Amino acid sequence: MKTTLIIAFLITAFAATAFTFKGNDDKKPWPVPDAAKNKKNPVASNAASIAAGKELWSTHCKSCHGAKGLGDGNKAAQLKTEPGDFSKSDTQAQTDGALFFKISEGREDMPSFKKKVPDDEDRWNLVNFTRTLKK
Amino acid sequence: MRKIFFYSAGMYSRLLLLLLLTACCSSAVLAQDSTAAADAPVAKKKQYTKNTFVANYIIDNQTVMVPVKGTFEFDINHRFGTTDHGWSDLFGIFGGANMRLGFSYVPIKDLQIGFGANNFNMQVDWSLKYAILKQTRDNSMPVSVTYYGNAAMDTRERNSSINIATTSDRFSFFNQLLVARKITEKLSVQAAFSVTHFNNVDGYYDSAKNVLPSMKNTHLAIAFSGRYKISAKTALIVNYDQPLTQHPTNNPHPNISFGIEMGTSGHAFQIFAGNYGYTLPQNNNFLNQNDYKKSQFVIGFNISRLWNF
Repeated sequence: MKTTLIIAFLITAFAATAFTFKGNDDKKPWPVPDAAKNKKNPVASNAASIAAGKELWSTHCKSCHGAKGLGDGNKAAQLKTEPGDFSKSDTQAQTDGALFFKISEGREDMPSFKKKVPDDEDRWNLVNFTRTLKK
Repeated sequence: MRKIFFYSAGMYSRLLLLLLLTACCSSAVLAQDSTAAADAPVAKKKQYTKNTFVANYIIDNQTVMVPVKGTFEFDINHRFGTTDHGWSDLFGIFGGANMRLGFSYVPIKDLQIGFGANNFNMQVDWSLKYAILKQTRDNSMPVSVTYYGNAAMDTRERNSSINIATTSDRFSFFNQLLVARKITEKLSVQAAFSVTHFNNVDGYYDSAKNVLPSMKNTHLAIAFSGRYKISAKTALIVNYDQPLTQHPTNNPHPNISFGIEMGTSGHAFQIFAGNYGYTLPQNNNFLNQNDYKKSQFVIGFNISRLWNF
């Protein structure tokens, strides 16, 4: 009986603490207005665009999102919201317009890049680069 | 030979004002041009070359870059002592230092205004930078041209050992026209012509008791700068400054400087070695006595933090 109680206590304690080991909050859904979601990408996804996007990624995005967009940048652990794994379908299934919206507007930990990357073309280049992160 | 002070009138102050007014008028003319373009039925947006340089500074010189509208920048410029004392002062790092804390802001497109404080002679400086022309991707404009000008004031308290008799004596001015071209994705080059003016220069008595200036008040110089990207965020930077004016005495030495630049989303870092040891361009161009032939180099760094409002 005593052993059973101890085991039951340990299982309960483990179950209770299991949810506190997570470093970032659960990802909240990020709704994108239809107009933004349906916006067409005017920039062709060619080598020049991807190279430009990669350079911008390296300067502005890599520190949180990681070199390959896996959400493992050196600042990621300090963030309230998990930066996400961009190689997976929940990012790659989004439209170019939706990605462009999120880069431009930002939300909470994610800054708005409308001013830091003021040219629309550059933010579309980032979208084109993000597509190359797909596994 | 007893040293006394010798100064000229403020005509160069008026010249600077004229140059500044011309820059402002050019801004108004360009505004008119862009309105006319917007009214045209087929107005293709001009595509400018991006990132000729990624920072306002290239070691001691300015670059043609003016940050985007709404950018507020905080700069720390630091120059250690000369390296020629070797280990005794850790190659100048534990020697004397010159430093500047500066702020700048871009209130309207292509125009930056700045303010700074320097420990050398307790100078404060005000500056203005305007991007007159920008290189385009289709090469219709092959270069970027920017004007940079500043005024600095020596704010030390007047005493008998300092050559300041009137307020005008405290001022020096620097005007520079920068021309740059991004040659390839990795390589950018720049040439800059400058005019330095000190209202007040040291004088001396000659053997006939005539007062003579040790230097001319106005000094011309030319500078060449280059940046070569070695990775997405890192570049090699080099500078050469050549004085053009010959002075009676105390001719300033040329400058060779080289270093590394690293950029992040909100910061630009430059660490380098060069002969120029001051934090204001007029002081460097006019007063530099560090001789590269005697290995009189100075280690220094520039740190810039940028915010976008």
